[in-house]
Amino acid sequence: MILTQMVLVLFVGGILAWAGENHRPNMGRWISLMAIIFAFALLLDFAHSNNELFHQYLTIANIPWITTFNIHYATGIDSLSFILIALTLLLGVICVLVSWQEITDNTGFYYFNLMASIAGIVGVFIATDLFLFFFFWEAMLLPMTALIAIWGHENRHYAAIKFFIFTQVSSLLMLIAIISLALIHHQQTGSYSFDYFALKQMLLSADVEFYLMLAFFIAFAVKLPSFPVHTWLPDAHTQAPTAGSVLLAGVLLKTGAYGLIRFVLELFPKASAEFANVAVLLGVISILYGAKMAFAQTDFKRLVAYSSISHMGFVMLALFSFQQIAYHGALLTIVAHGLSSAALFSMAGMLYSRLHSRDLSQMGGMFSSAPRMGGMLLAFVAAAFGLPGLLNFVGEFMILTGSFKVYPTSVIFAAIGLVGSAIYGMYLFQQSFQGPSKQVIVDLSKREIIICLSLLALLISLGLFPETLLMHFPEQYRVAANATATATASALVPADSVINLGANL
Amino acid sequence: MSSLELFAIAPQLILSLAIVLQLLLIAVKRSTALIQYFTAISIVIAAGATPLVLPAVNTQSTILFYLDGFSIGVNLLIFLSAVIVCLISGRYLAISQEVHDEYYVLLLLVVLGASLVSIANHFASVFLGLELLSIALIGMVGYLRSRTQSLEAGFKYLILSATASSVLLFGMAMIYGFSGDMHFNYVSLSYTGAVNEQMRLLFSAGSVLLIAGIAFKLSLVPFHFWTPDVYQGAPAPVSMLLATVSKTAMFAVLVKFWFFAQLYANEQLMLIITVIAFASMLVGNLLALQQTNIKRLLAYSSIAHMGYLLVTLKVLAASSTQLAWESALFYLLTYCLANLLIFTFICQTSKANAGVDNDDWQHWRGLFWQSPVQASALIFALLSLAGIPLTAGFIGKFYLLTTAVDNGSWRLLASLVAGSGIGLYYYLRIIFVMFANANVQQALPLTRLSQALIVSLSLLILVFGILPDIISAEVRLFALSNFG
Repeated sequence: MILTQMVLVLFVGGILAWAGENHRPNMGRWISLMAIIFAFALLLDFAHSNNELFHQYLTIANIPWITTFNIHYATGIDSLSFILIALTLLLGVICVLVSWQEITDNTGFYYFNLMASIAGIVGVFIATDLFLFFFFWEAMLLPMTALIAIWGHENRHYAAIKFFIFTQVSSLLMLIAIISLALIHHQQTGSYSFDYFALKQMLLSADVEFYLMLAFFIAFAVKLPSFPVHTWLPDAHTQAPTAGSVLLAGVLLKTGAYGLIRFVLELFPKASAEFANVAVLLGVISILYGAKMAFAQTDFKRLVAYSSISHMGFVMLALFSFQQIAYHGALLTIVAHGLSSAALFSMAGMLYSRLHSRDLSQMGGMFSSAPRMGGMLLAFVAAAFGLPGLLNFVGEFMILTGSFKVYPTSVIFAAIGLVGSAIYGMYLFQQSFQGPSKQVIVDLSKREIIICLSLLALLISLGLFPETLLMHFPEQYRVAANATATATASALVPADSVINLGANL
Repeated sequence: MSSLELFAIAPQLILSLAIVLQLLLIAVKRSTALIQYFTAISIVIAAGATPLVLPAVNTQSTILFYLDGFSIGVNLLIFLSAVIVCLISGRYLAISQEVHDEYYVLLLLVVLGASLVSIANHFASVFLGLELLSIALIGMVGYLRSRTQSLEAGFKYLILSATASSVLLFGMAMIYGFSGDMHFNYVSLSYTGAVNEQMRLLFSAGSVLLIAGIAFKLSLVPFHFWTPDVYQGAPAPVSMLLATVSKTAMFAVLVKFWFFAQLYANEQLMLIITVIAFASMLVGNLLALQQTNIKRLLAYSSIAHMGYLLVTLKVLAASSTQLAWESALFYLLTYCLANLLIFTFICQTSKANAGVDNDDWQHWRGLFWQSPVQASALIFALLSLAGIPLTAGFIGKFYLLTTAVDNGSWRLLASLVAGSGIGLYYYLRIIFVMFANANVQQALPLTRLSQALIVSLSLLILVFGILPDIISAEVRLFALSNFG
């Protein structure tokens, strides 16, 4: 039940923060911080005692929940979930720290929403019952929408509604696909099932598999976001409060990537192989389109938001090329983008608190008054455009190398996107910190230095030693190339062998 | 007539007796409080007779009524809604020395009509129950005679309701002419037996007219035009009655007739239902977008919700009807809970002597910061209507989706998804208004009773949403013991 405990710690922490804040001002942020750190400690402790086991799926709990439809409260963890949960909690700490002074209205309720959102995201990563997954998938949206709608900037209601409707409608499609899977299971075996592993072993006819895959794909492509369904993202990111943007870019987008890896590729291997060409194309379009749009922005946060679309395009490209190296690259990019975009949005928040503007044309020449801040921004921008030595570089390099074998043309175009990222990155830095001095601002405070340094340290250390992450994903493990498994079947270990330790945990 | 047959209609007998006693009570002592409590208690007793009724499940009581599990479920839902309407009417109507006995007599008549309709198995009983329901409702809609809006709504409802009834009656006559029987379940038997093409046409035409009549009462597109005006004009508790009791009972009739007479096997009728459902989901949601009046908005949203419910009518085979019954009942439950909650709030913040009810949702601006409990309850109800997880509405929608997928109704599914997408917009807008910062309005005072009602309804919505097992077993049980 350790995973459930984590979710509960976060959620109850949120309630306590709300209650505490009403009791005594400024207590909310401390309680939230403690709760996240406590959850992190639980996770690390658990990881410590199960070091090797994360290589295979470990089911933790399996309790009947809605018996009418044979829905279970089933949770489990593997390396992918583990890494993403760790990332979520880490960024959770950052979120609390960036909100430290930014939020002055209704603070208690703010921290409740923040914590509920983090709890929901952790829930998404641990659910192994598809209904439960959907439940958490939606549950994380509500507090996130509240964060945007209540504490966002000038156009917050529009952004919040757009964000909610996009994700909600697309996930309804996914819900229909989930129900279809359960009903097909009912037809084949005589009982409903929403269990991930049971559904994975089901045989589907090619047509059905394709349509179901498409429904899942749309839901995750909206979240990722991919080219035609990305339009919610610039608005939501721009209008959200800093912590909201950090959480959105840092982990919420990763739930889309997680869904692609966990559900689309694994439940529908044949259909995804069939669909790969389209997905790769969408990925490349996202890369180029995101880069191009980023360059055209004058709003700091909007620029970073479009760059996210570009970076997540790389992930899409990698996942649908079905190459081991590219897959590893995608994992690294997920983490790298989580850290670097979180850092950039934090910087945007810091600037906003000083200038009350996100408009790049009003910034300029701030390097002289705030050299530390400028240096940090330069470092993060460099990370975002893939400076060697930082994690983003390793990830994107591996993606391009890996995919080149199968999609050479696409990779060539994707590589152009990399150049684009250097251009908009430098543009961002130049506009804000170089040129004639337009603004004089206060340099980073201690709290802000801690935020920046910790993210930078992670980017550098993981960039130099990406093995720390990749060791969780040994060569034979869960090759995304299930689809091409026919060719390499002998080299693969079936990924769905589950060790059930539920009883003694 | 055996005792079992009497037990089967025990609640209806109790209600009839209560109405007579009400009239006697008025003759003896005129007191608003007294008659209000008497009404509430008699509805509770009628609901409390359920244990008596249960052994009589699946009993034909006289030629007119057939009691199945589904009807018991619907009846309980009607009684629950009616009790709440009765309880909150007191404060709403307490404006002067005037004693409102007629109001409560009418209320009880509506409940009797609704519960008769939901156990009816014969065209005669359907029509009797329906007229009882409608005529009493007309009186209630126009009850506040000092409000022109209320009178106008009453007239509108009177005229259109009479038209719908006559259409319904004509349809019944045609079906009778075809089958020679007014029983639901013989209708289909004669249909399969009929070889004559002309006779079949008569039956189809009759069914279409019948469905049109019911669709009017359910305010399905294109028979929906009266709904927003009547909802807005009627006193708030009466709108609440319209939204819950009347809709639930009418839907029960439709479902029973549809499945007993096996109309789902008729492709033309199925097409008509599909088109009506499609139009209701989209039109209801689209027209709700621009509403600033919460009663009008709920009227449009109820159009859409009835459209969603029609999804359950499309079944491919008799084996799938089970899930359809279950879905319909569960969805009706979640729909009623949410509507009851929101209307309770509107009733409690409005007064009968004011020109209009307090039904502009802009008045809820900043409500969350003033009274978090009330606002949270309203938010849960709105989210439930929107079908968002953690609330009962989501489980209801889950049932609907499962039914639709099970029967391969992809076109209906597509419009359901589109409709809910549009619906999110106006539900969210209201929620955001409650979170707005401006403190324009004074905190709206609520009595303890209504506070308790709102809190317990919102808890029900949450509990059914998170642990549907608590109720789904009963729903299944009720739905299992249907006629088929």
